[in-house]
Amino acid sequence: MLRVFSNVNVNMTDNAVMAEVSAGRVARLAVLFERYHRALFRYFISMNGHREQAEDLVQEVFFRMLRYRSSYDPAQSFTAWMYQIARNAGVDQGRRVRMAEVVDIDSFALASSAPGPEESVSRSQDLALLRRAMNQLPQDKREVLVLSRFQGMKHEDIAEVLGCEVGTVKVRVYRAIRALEQIYFTLEKEKAS
Amino acid sequence: MTCEQARTQMLGESGGEDFAAHLASCESCRNEVSRIGTLWQSLDLLPLEEPSGTVRERFYEMLGAYRQGLASAEPRKAFVWWQAAAAAALLVLGLGLGYGVRGDKSRPEMAQLREEVASMRQLVALSLMQQQSASERLRGVTWAYRAEPSDREVLGALVTAVNHDTNVNVRLAAVDALRRFAASPETRRAVIEALPSQTTPLVQVALIDLLVDFKERSAAGVLKTLAANQGANDGVRQQAQWALEKLQ
Amino acid sequence: MKKLLVLSFTAALMAPAVLPQDAQKATVAFSDPSRPRKLVVETMSGSITVRGYGGQEAIVETTGTGFRARKGKETEPPAGMHRIGGDSAGVEISEENNTVRISSGPSPFAQAGVVIQVPTQTSVSVNARLGNAITIENITGEIEANNMNGQVTITNVSGSVVAHSMNGKIVASINSVTPDKAMSFSTMNGKIDVTLPASIKANVKLKTNHGDIFTDFDVKLDSTAQPPQVEDNRQKGGRYRVQFDRGTAGTINGGGPEIQFTTFNGDILIHKK
Repeated sequence: MLRVFSNVNVNMTDNAVMAEVSAGRVARLAVLFERYHRALFRYFISMNGHREQAEDLVQEVFFRMLRYRSSYDPAQSFTAWMYQIARNAGVDQGRRVRMAEVVDIDSFALASSAPGPEESVSRSQDLALLRRAMNQLPQDKREVLVLSRFQGMKHEDIAEVLGCEVGTVKVRVYRAIRALEQIYFTLEKEKAS
Repeated sequence: MTCEQARTQMLGESGGEDFAAHLASCESCRNEVSRIGTLWQSLDLLPLEEPSGTVRERFYEMLGAYRQGLASAEPRKAFVWWQAAAAAALLVLGLGLGYGVRGDKSRPEMAQLREEVASMRQLVALSLMQQQSASERLRGVTWAYRAEPSDREVLGALVTAVNHDTNVNVRLAAVDALRRFAASPETRRAVIEALPSQTTPLVQVALIDLLVDFKERSAAGVLKTLAANQGANDGVRQQAQWALEKLQ
Repeated sequence: MKKLLVLSFTAALMAPAVLPQDAQKATVAFSDPSRPRKLVVETMSGSITVRGYGGQEAIVETTGTGFRARKGKETEPPAGMHRIGGDSAGVEISEENNTVRISSGPSPFAQAGVVIQVPTQTSVSVNARLGNAITIENITGEIEANNMNGQVTITNVSGSVVAHSMNGKIVASINSVTPDKAMSFSTMNGKIDVTLPASIKANVKLKTNHGDIFTDFDVKLDSTAQPPQVEDNRQKGGRYRVQFDRGTAGTINGGGPEIQFTTFNGDILIHKK
């Protein structure tokens, strides 16, 4: 009875699902939507900090996946393809809202509303500081950090998305986290003084 | 291995023996690994952003309309158009497709929109019901409740959920959602067939209550068997007995 | 699966491990940061407590006199015979793709329980087949709890909750609900006592075959429902109670994702935080 979805089981790879979409079974994109819309949202919000814009961009990415579905090469990594589209969509958006304080502190409501022992009050302050440090990272450093740490992408895929060598990715990730460290400690010092 | 080389290995997928050897002999690199490692791990503790509820609705609107569009006109281009279109569509839906409809349903645009919406709801329900998390499948079942009563795919998915979902709460919700499909004899048959094989008391009660609400007299046989079943839960047997009386 | 080579952290348990009889504690790392953390617990007997904390790893401790009692002298098997079945409580711990799984088979020591600490942001799924109480606290994530015989207590959590107990009450206190997530509470014998944030937007479905439904929320009922009986004793220092018919549905704060409350023998209480 499940005509549309009978061949899709929960374990079908992203590649396989997208290949189906490419072949004309367009409705299957819904499976990829359910798998990835949150991660994409988080990627966009790390890049531009603006919730509405991030949501719009998520829509745009899936729309483009539909439109460019025939250009999808099943031999290619699906995540690499998806994030390439995501980056392009972000650039096309034109506006880059200044990161600094746009992401609201309310986003910490989730973490700090489930506190454990007393130390968690200072912990959520540390995390707030960490978030600010992330926001203050230069765009390209923040991006490589987000792709590797949060989106958990393999270095080969990141290399494909960013258009660089795999070896370069390692160095860039390292430099990004060093820069984050510097900013974090600067912020910490400012707070203390 | 030099310190320079070691640094790039710190966050890599595998350190290797050279790396371990270097660290063993180099205190400054060891410190760096420790500090960076701590920072790297802490990133994990940052709360995760969640998108709002409208993201899903908008996507399914878009997908549904895109599929329609494939059949007819060319796909639309700028996404800004989509925002406006989706908002307008939702507005129209609110006015025209609620219960107690005003206006003429037979107008072609309304009919098409209605079809798109039904198609969208079906897509949402079916894809959510495939997800791994119980909470998502639960959400899928509530979407199923908004599908067209004639939608056999959704009905099939619900019956499958009643009989096979691993989570009690999802099965319960699926039983309830079957009310939407009360008109179909297929539904009633499915409920009667589901009863004997269900072993969770709460779900058995829900199925019994549904049969009573459906006024389904043909369920008498199954109910009698259940009421007499020594192995069944007492509450369930009482409920079956009560149902038999109600259905006289 | 990404491994982080950092020396100062507890090594991950790579292969399934059986908690030795006398060791009471084990630590497991979550190995794949590209996926959300998940904890899955399946036990045959004993209570299960899951507690969120500020660290990175899962810490598993077994409690209860069952173990210690066994530590004493073992009885000699009768001549010519050998012991079958082993004597450890057989708590098995494994980790894969950022999911930590903890399971235990049947144990002659019904008192043995397990306490698990995980990072606050972890999704938790607990299934207790013959066990006693399930307690889950300080967690942000998707929470699933299933108990055959015993209470389910879920406090100080955020995210979404799907909970069921066959024989036992369900008590839950939720700080915030992830937008767009549905929740469900069900029990055959026992009451459901849930506290939700006052600002929550939800569609509620309430059903009890032999019990009453009370709430201090302002619930707008579906037009088909019977009107509730309202008891307002606030002037006299009492409380505000709205009592519904046994099966009803409505909306809170304009409506939103669905929350279902189902019990056969028991009351349903929904408190406003």
